[in-house]
Amino acid sequence: MRDRLAIITASVAGVFMTVQYFLTAPAANTAYRTILSWMQVVFAFALVVGVIGVLRLNIERLGKRRSGWFYSAALVAGVAAMTILGFVGGTDRGTPFQWVFDHWQAPMQSTVFSLLAFYVASAAYRGFRARSGESTVLVIAALIVLLGRVPVGEWLSPVLPRTADWILNVPALAAKRAILIGVGLGMIATSLKVIAGLERTYLGGR
Amino acid sequence: MGTPRRWIFALVGLAAVAALVLKPGLPASVTQDTRSVYDLIESLDSGAVVMISFDHEASSLPEVGPLGAAIVDHCFRRGIGIIGLALFSEGTAAGYELLGRRASVFGRSYGSGWIYLGFRPQYTSAILGMGENIGDVFNLDYEGHAVTATALGSRVHSYNDIALVVSVADGSMPTYWVEYAQARYQVKIVAALTSVMVTSYLPYYESKQLAGIVAGLRGAAEYEQLLGHPAAGCRGMDAQSAIHALIAILIIAGNVQGWRIRRSRGHGEA
Repeated sequence: MRDRLAIITASVAGVFMTVQYFLTAPAANTAYRTILSWMQVVFAFALVVGVIGVLRLNIERLGKRRSGWFYSAALVAGVAAMTILGFVGGTDRGTPFQWVFDHWQAPMQSTVFSLLAFYVASAAYRGFRARSGESTVLVIAALIVLLGRVPVGEWLSPVLPRTADWILNVPALAAKRAILIGVGLGMIATSLKVIAGLERTYLGGR
Repeated sequence: MGTPRRWIFALVGLAAVAALVLKPGLPASVTQDTRSVYDLIESLDSGAVVMISFDHEASSLPEVGPLGAAIVDHCFRRGIGIIGLALFSEGTAAGYELLGRRASVFGRSYGSGWIYLGFRPQYTSAILGMGENIGDVFNLDYEGHAVTATALGSRVHSYNDIALVVSVADGSMPTYWVEYAQARYQVKIVAALTSVMVTSYLPYYESKQLAGIVAGLRGAAEYEQLLGHPAAGCRGMDAQSAIHALIAILIIAGNVQGWRIRRSRGHGEA
């Protein structure tokens, strides 16, 4: 019964959101705006459920001193601290909440992101090899784009940026467009299956 | 193959630090993509309203921060009103801080020169909802004022009153802006992206679904040149140039070494 209710809700919502796109009646517009508001409310609750789930998992790991428990401690402390700072001091400029974001969270996350440059350099040296015709084309294209997208490439030769732009605008664009069309067709097919009640994996794989 | 990974790491660190300290300042020409975004904002009337959505995580701030700052500066300099928001929770504080900081430089006051709507979850419904009525999605701004009570907020009802939406993003959010705001409400969208995302959005730009693309530190550096005010983007390009050149050298060195090993094995087997 519970599954049937979910399938009917998904089907009705899917059909309505498709049909209302073509309707100009005020009632259809009102219903559309109401559904959009509901979606926000439902998602806000889903966020709360997500936060509670993550906290439960990490508090349990912390309590049982499982492997990596100190990471869980950092996560729980972070959630608690930012929640308290946000509710007590607000989130405006100059508040402790904003200070922690600017001086802790942003630099720490940027640092982790920056580490990619180190690993990319190491991986490029060790793994980016021209072992076949196809991989040779890939290596040459990568070198041209790598140098052509920065001023040093322009300094080396004005041909490099032009060739890099051609690689991005012709072969890469064609491949990306083909992928996007494929993804779009897949989304339409999956949506139709959900509306028809044939696709039920969103119910938990049953 | 014996080059230890730590040597490569040390080389990358040294290259970045040397470039930042020595500041070679290699000139970079302005690409047509960046110029078209600049021209688009330049063509807007003074007093027009641009919506800037900070759809990125804190981790990509070093790359998209200078880009966002350049576009914000351009709008403020031209007297264009800015409505800021975030559809990624982490972009909320970053966008608010950036707008406040740049507004104080240009003497733009909150309420009339810019407002910040804050964050809304469920980006699909938020984007669609603002096409019907921005007040339905954001009745209060980030500072807790009624949006319609602010001078700027009272002038905008939906995308019909917005000249341009700029999504400062490090992921797939501009796709949703195209699919739900441009396709349905015909509002112009510009994507300000991390460099790595460019190829994903070129199809939308070529089909005119995106009005413009400006990407990465390179895009920020070009935009700063157009504004005549070199800043973080131009400074960062030196380090990025050095790292790109080093990675290219490492790829070539790795391939030469691999080729020599394969050749020596071939000789051994013979």
